Amino acid sequence: MLRVESLQKSFDGFMAVNGADLVVEKGEIVAVIGPNGAGKTTLFKLITGHLRPEKGGIIFKGDSIAGLPPYQICRRGISLSFQVVNVFNRMTVSENVHVAVLSHIKKTSKLFLPARNHGMRKVRDILANVGLIDESDRVSGSLSHGDQKILEIAVALGNDPELLILDEPTAGMSPEETAVTIGLINRLTSEMGLTILFCEHDMELVFSIAHKIMVMQQGRSIIQAGPDEVKNNRQVQDAYLGGAD
Amino acid sequence: MDLGQTITIPALCSHLLVGLSRAMILFVVTSGMSFVLGVLRVPNVAHGSLYMIGAFSAFSISTLLGGGSTGFLVALVLAPLVVALVSLIAERSLFCHLYEREHLMLLLFTFALMLILGDLVKMVWGPDYRSIMAPELLRGSATVFGAPFPRYNLFLLIIGPLVAIGLWLFSNKTKIGKIARAAAVDREMVGAIGINVSRVFAFAFVFGCFLAGLGGALVSPMVSITIGMDHDIVMDAFLIVTIGGLGNMWGALVGSLIFGITQSFGVLLLPQFAIVFPYLAVVVILIWRPTGMLKSVW
Amino acid sequence: MSKGFFGLKSFIPVAGFLIILLILPGIIPRFYTYILTLIFVTGLLAMSLNLVVGHGGLFQFHHCAFYGVGAYAFALILTKTSLPTWVAFVAGPLMAATVGLIIGWLCVRLNKLYFGMLQIALGSLIWAVAFRWYSLTGGDDGIHGIPMPALLDSINSAYYFILILLLICLIVLYLILKSPFGLTLRAIRDNPERCETVGVNVKLHKLAAIVIATFFAGIAGTLFVVVERSVFPDLLFWVFSLEVFIMCLLGGWFTFPGPILGAAMMVSLRTFVGAYTEYWTLIVGVILILLIFFLPEGVLGYLIRKSKGLRVGSAGEG
Repeated sequence: MLRVESLQKSFDGFMAVNGADLVVEKGEIVAVIGPNGAGKTTLFKLITGHLRPEKGGIIFKGDSIAGLPPYQICRRGISLSFQVVNVFNRMTVSENVHVAVLSHIKKTSKLFLPARNHGMRKVRDILANVGLIDESDRVSGSLSHGDQKILEIAVALGNDPELLILDEPTAGMSPEETAVTIGLINRLTSEMGLTILFCEHDMELVFSIAHKIMVMQQGRSIIQAGPDEVKNNRQVQDAYLGGAD
Repeated sequence: MDLGQTITIPALCSHLLVGLSRAMILFVVTSGMSFVLGVLRVPNVAHGSLYMIGAFSAFSISTLLGGGSTGFLVALVLAPLVVALVSLIAERSLFCHLYEREHLMLLLFTFALMLILGDLVKMVWGPDYRSIMAPELLRGSATVFGAPFPRYNLFLLIIGPLVAIGLWLFSNKTKIGKIARAAAVDREMVGAIGINVSRVFAFAFVFGCFLAGLGGALVSPMVSITIGMDHDIVMDAFLIVTIGGLGNMWGALVGSLIFGITQSFGVLLLPQFAIVFPYLAVVVILIWRPTGMLKSVW
Repeated sequence: MSKGFFGLKSFIPVAGFLIILLILPGIIPRFYTYILTLIFVTGLLAMSLNLVVGHGGLFQFHHCAFYGVGAYAFALILTKTSLPTWVAFVAGPLMAATVGLIIGWLCVRLNKLYFGMLQIALGSLIWAVAFRWYSLTGGDDGIHGIPMPALLDSINSAYYFILILLLICLIVLYLILKSPFGLTLRAIRDNPERCETVGVNVKLHKLAAIVIATFFAGIAGTLFVVVERSVFPDLLFWVFSLEVFIMCLLGGWFTFPGPILGAAMMVSLRTFVGAYTEYWTLIVGVILILLIFFLPEGVLGYLIRKSKGLRVGSAGEG
C-alpha cells in the first residue's frame, strides 16, 4: 500500500533523512523505531506532505505522492496523528472530530445549513469507538494529556483513512492509558481494516503488536522485518537495543 | 494627463537627487520604526505622531530663537529630544505595563497613542499649518549636473548617510546597541543572562521615537507642517520597513531609497499620480519577496 | 449547541429591541435617526470584518479598501452613467467582492503579518489612485450630492431600507458562522496546520471567507452612500480600516454581535463627544487605553464572561 524509497531530506545542511526505505502492506501494523533524532518524525512529515523530500519516492496505492500538499494526501486516504498534541484547543471534543469529518464528506463549503446537520453520527461513532463519547462537550484544551492523545487519534479517524500514521501515540501516557490505546490500535486493524504505521519508544508495545518493524538510525533505514528477526539483528542490537530498554 | 517635463539628463539627475534626499528623511524616520519593530516586535502606529511633534517642535524652537541659522540648528538638536521625552513619558507610565501582553494589545496601544498625541498637537499648536524657512546657509539652490537643486536637499544628502553610519556604529559598537540587537533576536536569552529586558524595550522605544522626531525636524523646512502629517508618514514608513526586511536597518535604507526614487520618477513621468508609483513598487516587491528584500531580524 | 443568539431565552429581548428600532424614527429627531442609520452601516462593515478576523484569524488590515470600492462603484455608476439604479446596487458589492478576490488571492499565499502588509500596500494603492484621479473620483473632495431614487430620499425611508438589509445580512452571516464552513473557518483560525492534515484546503477556504467578507463590506459601502449621499477617499484610508478593527475588538471579536456594539460605541462617541469638544479623538484614545488595560476581550466579551462565569471560548456563542 505504501512504499518509501531512498528518501532524503535535509535542513540547512543537516541530513535528517538520508536514505529511508519502508514498505507497508494493507492491513499491517508497522512500527518505525530508532533513537531520538533518527528521523522518524521527519519521515512521517515527508509521507504526509508537511515536508518536501529532496530525493527519493513515496508511492501510495500505486501513485506517487511525494511533494503533494498535505490536504491532498489526506484526501487520498492517509491520516496523521501528531506526536505533540495538535488539536483545536478552543473547540469541544465533538467539534474537533467534526471538523475532520466535514472535511472528509466534503461539506466544508456548505454555507447555509447548520453544521450539526452533517456528519454528526459519524462523529459520535468515532468518539464511542475511542472511548471519548462522554467528553463530547468538553473543551479539548481541558482534557487530560492521555485523553488528548486519544483525541488526536479520533481526529485522524475523522477522515476515514486507509492508512493511519501515529507519531508516538502513547507518549506521556500512564500504563492504564497505554493498555487502552493498544487495545484501540488492535481494534482499528482487526475490526475496521485500517493499516497502521506508527513510531514509539516503548519497545514492549512495539514488539507486542507490530507485524513488521523498520529500524532507523541517523536518517537511514537499517532493516525492516518481523519482530524476531529485528530483535536478533546484530546491527540493531549494537545501535539501539543493546543495553538500553 | 500630461507627461511631466521632457526627459533630459539634467532633469533625470535632478529628480534622482530629489528622490534621494526624500529617501534620506524617510530613512531617518523608518530606521526608528524598524528599530522598535525589531526589538519590541510591534509596529509603532504612533511613530508618525512623534515625527509630527518633531516638526512642530522644530518650528516652535526655531521661531523662539529668532528663526536664524543657529535657531534652526538648535531646533534640530532639541526637537528630537523633546520627542524622546514625550515617548519616555508614554512608555514609562503606560506602555511598559503591557510588555507581557500579546502583540495585538501593544499595537492597539500605539494606535491609541497616535489618537491622543494627534489631538495634543492640535491643542498645543492649533489646527493651522505652520512653516519655517531653512537657515540662510541652506536656502536657495545650487546647480548640480546642469539643473537647479535645493541646497537644503544637498544638506539632507549629507545628513542621511551620517545618520546611517551613526546608527551602524551604535548598533554594532556600543554595548547598549548590541544588547538591543540581541534582544531583537532573542529576548528570552537576553533576560536569562540578567539584563532587564523591560529597560531594553524602553530604550528601544525612546530611541526609535527620537529618530522619528529627528526626521520631523529635518523635514520641517521642506513641507508645510500640518496635523495630518502623522497619518501620511506612518503607513509609508511601515510599508518601507516591510519591503526592506523587518527590523533590518539597511533594509530601511533600501526601502527608503526605492520609495523616494520611485516617487520622484513618478513626478517626472505622471505627476498627477506620482504617489501611486511608490505603492506600486511596494506591491511588486511584496508579491515577489513577501518577507522583504533583506533578511528580517525575526 | 445553540442556546445562543436565536435560542428562546434571547429571542424575546431581541424581538423587543427590534420593535423599538422599528418605531424609533417616528419619535426621535431626524438627527438621531441619521446617527442610527450610520451605526447600522458601520455595524455591518464591522461584522463583515469580524468574519475574517475574529472567526477566521486573518490579519485583514485594510478591510475598508473594499468598503470604499463598493461605495465608489455605487456612486460612480449613479453619477457617471445612466444605468438603472438597481445595477448600481448590485455593482457595489460585486465590485468589492471582485477586488476582494484579486487582493485575497494575492495575499492568501502569505502568512499572518505579511498577509496584512500586502493588503495594506494594495489598499493604499487603491486609495492613492482614488485620491489623485480628480476627473473620475473627484480626488481629494470626493463626490457629493449623489442622487437617490425617490423611495430612499428621506432619512426615514433610508433608515428602514438599511435596517432591513442589515437584518438580512446578519441572518445570513449567522447562518454562515453556524454552518460547516463556519466551523472549518474557526478551525483554520485555531490551527491551520491541523486543518491541512485533515484534508482542508486552507488557502481556498480563506479566500472564500475573504470574498464573502468583502461582499458584505461592499454592501455596507453602498448603504453608506445611501445615507450620506457622498463618497470621499477617507473611506479608503488605512486609518479607517484600523478604526473598524478597533470596533470589533471594542465590542468583543469572539462574539457574534460584538462588532455592531463596537461600531455603535465608536459612532456614538464621535457624534456626541464630538459635539462637545473637537478633541474627541483624544477621548477615543483614552477609552481605548482603558479597554486595553481592563477589558481586553471587549465589552461584550467581558459581559458574557461575567454572566457565564467562564472564559470566552469558541465563537458562535451568541
